[in-house]
Amino acid sequence: MVYWLVLGAGILLQVVLLIRAPVAGLFRRYYFFYIYLLSATITALGGLAVLLVWPGFYSKWYWITQLATLVLGYGILLEVLNHVLVPYPGAERFARFSGMVAFGAIFLFALIAPRIMPRWSPGTVIEFERDVRCVQAIFIFGLLALVTYYGIPIGRNMKGMVLGYGLYIVTSLMSLAERSYAGPSFTKIWSVVQPLSFDVSLTIWLVALWSYCPNPEPDSTIPLEQDYEALVARTKSVMDTIRGYFRKAERA
Amino acid sequence: MIQLIFFLTVGVLLFSSLFFLARRKPRPEGTSDALVEARQALSSLQAGLLPEKLVKRVFDRGDWEYVKSEAPKPVRQLFLEERKRIAILWIDQVRNQIKNLSRFHRGSARHYAKLNPRTEMSLAFSFFGLVCSCRALQLAVSMAGPYAAPRLVGAVANAAERTCKVSEQSLAFLNAAQLGMLTNRAAGSALSRG
Repeated sequence: MVYWLVLGAGILLQVVLLIRAPVAGLFRRYYFFYIYLLSATITALGGLAVLLVWPGFYSKWYWITQLATLVLGYGILLEVLNHVLVPYPGAERFARFSGMVAFGAIFLFALIAPRIMPRWSPGTVIEFERDVRCVQAIFIFGLLALVTYYGIPIGRNMKGMVLGYGLYIVTSLMSLAERSYAGPSFTKIWSVVQPLSFDVSLTIWLVALWSYCPNPEPDSTIPLEQDYEALVARTKSVMDTIRGYFRKAERA
Repeated sequence: MIQLIFFLTVGVLLFSSLFFLARRKPRPEGTSDALVEARQALSSLQAGLLPEKLVKRVFDRGDWEYVKSEAPKPVRQLFLEERKRIAILWIDQVRNQIKNLSRFHRGSARHYAKLNPRTEMSLAFSFFGLVCSCRALQLAVSMAGPYAAPRLVGAVANAAERTCKVSEQSLAFLNAAQLGMLTNRAAGSALSRG
């Protein structure tokens, strides 16, 4: 009963979000996000039909569509990158760099882990989804760290998008890890927790994306120095001097 | 079990960063407000917090020697407490103004397409180190009194002064006319926010 309620509420929220998108002129602005949402809605409605008509096929259907939406979920991250960081080329460069480092580290980990930990293997679909969710979680964490460090302002639409998707990833990652560790005994809780967390995300999106709220633009009229190297050289020379003072103080 | 702990840790880290994002108040970084703040931080450090005379006066042992030899115990205790409070306040102010200048650097650097991530990371660690030194000094003073680390006081004052000089160069492009214009704009945006 609870499962059906959660599922029904989710579909209703998705439909409202999709109806609201063209009305508020959001679809053409955030098309990656709405493509993801559309695929999630089709998946949920299709899943419902499969469950009623051909219950035996549901498990297979679930995993195939889940993996498809998992990949499309990266579109949300791309949307955030495009809208939040593009006006700040320096911060965007840093994000790309740290993103590549994170992916490289995870790729290396995936190569090395089976050799040093023979029991580790991304064997099942659950483990595979858990690992991909982990990559997404690390990426969002890095992105938020960067946004905070450089004090980049985030508008209501983008904030809601990140919060909603981030929250869904947190619950998915934790429940998948728990499911992978505890085994099938956790399936009952997991089958309610995951759609419930998606409902929470949908509610956040509905509030944040009710109307268009542009991301704050940087003040382009502020006079800036032309050369980044000059700025860095100056700041670096201060740091060297500061370090020198502290070394002297330590020695004294 | 290790795997489970790892994934749960990643989840908790992301959840806490989302929590901070939800509670985050927009800061005027890299805007006219930030430039005016950076300028004010610089003026405040140079004119109010770092003059040698003031630093010497706050941490001067001579005053203490005099009070110790002339005043009764309760007065001596009161003197030490007051001096400690002033010293901690001074360090706190210097630290805050250094943070302001660091924010100014970040506010500028994020606009440069040529930004070097490794350089930025090393600068971030350096700024962090300086702020930590201020914290260490604050801890030393609050635990062992205002005369606990006289050399470190000198080092912090000198380092902060150096920072000011370089930051002054960084902010040199803000001549008086531009600063006036930005101050008006900052005041305008503060009014519109209020």
